[in-house]
Amino acid sequence: MRVRTLLLGAAAAVAIAPAALAERGSDGEVKIIYWQAPSTMNPYLSGGTKELEAASLVVEPLARYDQDGNMVPWLAESVPTVDNGGVSADLTTINWKLKEGLLWSDGSPVTSADVVFTWKYCADPAGGCAQSEKYNDVTDVKAVDDLTVTVTFGVPKPFPYGPFVGAQAPIIQAAQFADCLGAKAPECTDANFGPMGTGPFRVTEFRPNDVISFEANPNYRDPDKPAFATVTFKGGGDTASAGRSVLETGEFDYAWNMQLAPDVLGAMEAAGKGTVVSAFGTLVERIMINLTDPSPALGDARSTKAHPHPFLSDPAVRQALSMAIDRALLVEIGYGAAGKPSCNVLPAPAIYKSTANDGCLVQDIEGAKKLLDDAGWVPGGDGIRAKDGVRLSILYQTSTNAVRQDFQALIKQWWSEIGVETELRNIDASVFFGGDPGSPDTFQKFFADVEMYANNFDGTDPEAYMANWECKQAPTPETQWQGNNMPRYCSEEYDALVAKMAQTGKLEERAELAKAMNDKLMQEYIMLPLVDRGRVSAHSNTLGGVVLNVWDSELWNVADWYRTKTQ
Amino acid sequence: MSDAGASPLVQVRGLKMHFPIYAGIFRRHVGDIKAVDDISLDIRESETLGLVGESGCGKSTAGRAVLRLYDITGGSITVDGTDISDIDKEKLRHLRPKMQMIFQDPQASLNPRMTVAGIIGEPLVEHMSLSRAERLERVYELMDAVGLNRSFANRYPHEFSGGQRQRIGIARALALHPKFIVCDEPIAALDVSIQAQVVNLLEDLQEQFGLTYLFISHDLSMVRHIADRVAVMYLGKIVELAPRDELYGAPLHPYTQALLSAVPEPDPVRESQRKHIILTGDVPSPSNAPVGCNFCTRCPRAEQICHEIEPEFRQVDKGRYTACHFVGDTAIKTAEPTVGETVKP
Amino acid sequence: MLNYSIRRLLLAIPTLIAISLIIFLLLDLAPSDPTANLPLTIPPEVREKIRQSLGLGDPIYIRYLLWCKQFFVNEPLNILEQWFGWGSGDRLRVLSWQTRSPVVDLIVERMPQTLWVVGMSYVVGVLIALPIGIISAYRQYSWFDQIGTFVSMVGFSVPTFFTGVLVIVIFSVWLGWFPSIYDTTHQVTDWESFLFQVRQMIMPVAVLALFNAAQISRFMRASMLDNLNQDYVRTARAKGLRERTVVMIHVLRNSLIPVVTVIALGVPQIFGGAIITEQVFKVNGLGQLLIISIQGGDLPTVQTLTFIFAVLIIVFNLVADVLYGILDPRIRYD
Repeated sequence: MRVRTLLLGAAAAVAIAPAALAERGSDGEVKIIYWQAPSTMNPYLSGGTKELEAASLVVEPLARYDQDGNMVPWLAESVPTVDNGGVSADLTTINWKLKEGLLWSDGSPVTSADVVFTWKYCADPAGGCAQSEKYNDVTDVKAVDDLTVTVTFGVPKPFPYGPFVGAQAPIIQAAQFADCLGAKAPECTDANFGPMGTGPFRVTEFRPNDVISFEANPNYRDPDKPAFATVTFKGGGDTASAGRSVLETGEFDYAWNMQLAPDVLGAMEAAGKGTVVSAFGTLVERIMINLTDPSPALGDARSTKAHPHPFLSDPAVRQALSMAIDRALLVEIGYGAAGKPSCNVLPAPAIYKSTANDGCLVQDIEGAKKLLDDAGWVPGGDGIRAKDGVRLSILYQTSTNAVRQDFQALIKQWWSEIGVETELRNIDASVFFGGDPGSPDTFQKFFADVEMYANNFDGTDPEAYMANWECKQAPTPETQWQGNNMPRYCSEEYDALVAKMAQTGKLEERAELAKAMNDKLMQEYIMLPLVDRGRVSAHSNTLGGVVLNVWDSELWNVADWYRTKTQ
Repeated sequence: MSDAGASPLVQVRGLKMHFPIYAGIFRRHVGDIKAVDDISLDIRESETLGLVGESGCGKSTAGRAVLRLYDITGGSITVDGTDISDIDKEKLRHLRPKMQMIFQDPQASLNPRMTVAGIIGEPLVEHMSLSRAERLERVYELMDAVGLNRSFANRYPHEFSGGQRQRIGIARALALHPKFIVCDEPIAALDVSIQAQVVNLLEDLQEQFGLTYLFISHDLSMVRHIADRVAVMYLGKIVELAPRDELYGAPLHPYTQALLSAVPEPDPVRESQRKHIILTGDVPSPSNAPVGCNFCTRCPRAEQICHEIEPEFRQVDKGRYTACHFVGDTAIKTAEPTVGETVKP
Repeated sequence: MLNYSIRRLLLAIPTLIAISLIIFLLLDLAPSDPTANLPLTIPPEVREKIRQSLGLGDPIYIRYLLWCKQFFVNEPLNILEQWFGWGSGDRLRVLSWQTRSPVVDLIVERMPQTLWVVGMSYVVGVLIALPIGIISAYRQYSWFDQIGTFVSMVGFSVPTFFTGVLVIVIFSVWLGWFPSIYDTTHQVTDWESFLFQVRQMIMPVAVLALFNAAQISRFMRASMLDNLNQDYVRTARAKGLRERTVVMIHVLRNSLIPVVTVIALGVPQIFGGAIITEQVFKVNGLGQLLIISIQGGDLPTVQTLTFIFAVLIIVFNLVADVLYGILDPRIRYD
């Protein structure tokens, strides 16, 4: 087999030169499989993870996050802070200085003009830039000299690391994209499919939604890297077959995002060809509680603040629902190594993680019953609790997904034990998350009592994420149901915390504020976090140097990957 | 036309053609349809033997079985001195030129994707070594013989009328100079106006080429016109076989009598004086024939013996054969039917 | 026949225009959002901007006419100009929303693997199906027929996502004979690379061929059975023809008439790709392009692909009718 001979050849090459001292290109080919295929190499034209990660082999940001969520300088010499003078005291400007001697893969120098151009490219309103959020509030980007740029914000930015940081905001070459601004952006097919970059590899062939071929970038800044001469980046298929190709047949070296049932993944790993790795970020599977009344009888006022929910507005009911859930069992059944029980909606990075809510880790059916009894919710003839004619009958919606349906069934069982009736509903993900204001089934409209999905935030800073539950973020008919505050939570105290965080620059203080917001949401049971979902990937046993990173592209350190000597 | 002393060209003895019935999940053999059940007859050289009977009585099956178009269940068939009842397909194939068949439905029996020349010429390719030109010449001769315009040679069957198609079928049958032709209801599918033409053509060809016919039909008047001798079939068996005039003049078997009484008389005066014998009930299923005489369930003369013992098919007079317990009994020869309904129109 | 074909083709034009409009309306009415698959971290304002940049803000008739102009005018003109060097040929083409690249280029890029794999499986399927159908009919209820029927039922009723995964587990995982992932960049340059191409095609082709063969062999069998009992077959036997000649010339030729048309009508399916099988073996041809475009709400790609399928279906319907006329002398068009 071709693959096998290649592997043997690569192994032989490694045997001669130890991995650490490998020369550029000495380890032959590395084959990566993503079961979702990248459709473009320009991260600014597609916000999809698959595109960002494929592009991260080629284009790079000024700074990015390592596996622990710490910011590390990448194309910049250092990370500017208030302390080192890189960020102005009023938090409105930041100065980035590029490393010296950086070259694009065509041999031309990387200059501050490229950085300025990158901002212009994404900021053009006609371009439909998918990452424009990263450049929010930027009023100007100026080249001070060939290697220095100054980013000016219109408002004080306590966390000024949006622009040019992370896989979402890499630097693109001004010369290549000069004619691709605004409405012309989609027409530059060649540039979008083969951007010039500073990364360890460059594109040799791009087949959209299928396969990408890369070769080592001859102008990469570290002359000994990358160890691999070529990369084949295959896309498409399904999770199981991608996992199989790495763990069972050994055709591929690295498979991304192995969302598989724990037993299936375990059986594949047992074949002995590869290893499953996981890491945890901020992705939390949670149940959102609708604090407003979703009754169809309300017409246009359905699920709006005008009508509080008949029973979920009672904190005791919400707390009881949370207490009845056995989160450890959910993890065991649905995620295995890829999940851990969570009592926080903000579970990471470590400095933001609260320990105040860990009581939820233990299921307490009796406690939940007592809580409901004390609150006046008593079981009726059919076993369903009721008070003043209001029955605890819940419509529970989520997207169509095997694990989510398992969760629904289990939780329905637990809730029935405490006298709560549950009707289950699942909606196709493209509709549920589709955001179509015309569809009644979107997660924003929330025409149900509770709904389950997962969400996270990019990077490490939770400010924007925690601001999701501001009063004004509630989706309403007036905003075409846009907004992230699904529970329609509205608390002046909470909004004050959000406002305060927006003006606080010191990391420790920001952490305290974030924790306080998290604890407030948790202790009022506005949402019930279930599982902290990690990212799971698989790599071949002959592939070394993989460091799984949930804070940035998974392929962030591909320059350091190498072929191990023997299996 | 033919004299009684001529040697038989075709000799059939105890011919049986049973079709198995399968049923159930495993298609087990549960019984047989006895389409032809033990018939014997001789066909003399150059004569026409008519074979008549109701639909479903097995006459067509008998005709095909005689030509070994089926693998027969039992009995023997000798054609022109060769026993063909058991010979293998390849030998049989070489005997095919001697014995041919003209089919009932001229539309269905001609391959729709072949031209007239192809249809008529195909057996020549198979059985004779002729050059292309010679073959075409022979095709033209045959077309002339059956009265088809030569210019039609490259047309397809669907472009012809029913009578013309039957002429193609006849020309095809004649192609290899056969001695014996089974005509399986050759006129049943044709307009009345065309029927006479085709029958006359068959008679002319018989004279011209010295053919022997087994003429199968349910049309008693047509058989009376063409046949020298006539055999009557009922439920897979021959009930009566006699020279034409004797049979039509004085039928012996009650079934033959009933059958002939149903033939309309052209003269209305005589027609009004005739007595019709109407048979009651349906023909029993050939898969479940009655015990005793096959006809006993409908026979106006049936008695106890008919339900118990199968009558023997035997010669009762010179050249006259029948299978009835009462034949030979003088009473029956002259008697009018007394049982069953007698109707005056 | 020529007049008939030309008339049919002319009649197809209004039909196709109507079809393109119906497809467009259906796609537009269906709930789909090109930004739905983006991570939840991308805020709604940005999504709205993306939608605007894709032209979703325009009224539906503008978008439809724009597609018509791009597909019916710009694309052909660009091709002509590039062929003959008349001009630059850079009119705005139909652009995919997912990849932001011309849809026609995507289709052209994916055509080879789809034709190789799906087309080959169709050819193999037909080649297997015809003899099986013929023998099954000729020896009706024999062991061969029973097994043939069983295999056909299995091939027809067991979905390819099951048989596909099954053969991958057996031949790739356990035996390691064939690659489980199709390499679309593979170039056949010499004997060695040809063998690799054969090896990577075997499994998808076999899985699809089983499915195709199941269908066609049933047709062949039924058609043979119809004809075997016809009077003209008895005539052929009475002529004293060899059994081979009877079956292969008389019965088979007549039986092939409906089968050939069924085969012709199935050809557009080849171009449609085999959505599931392509996914299972990562062939990434037209079927996979269609399905990811549907999932990604990529309307221009879905619209263009389905319209091309509609054209192919109409063309091959005509081909089937013309073939019928050629094969069956009873049918005449004028």
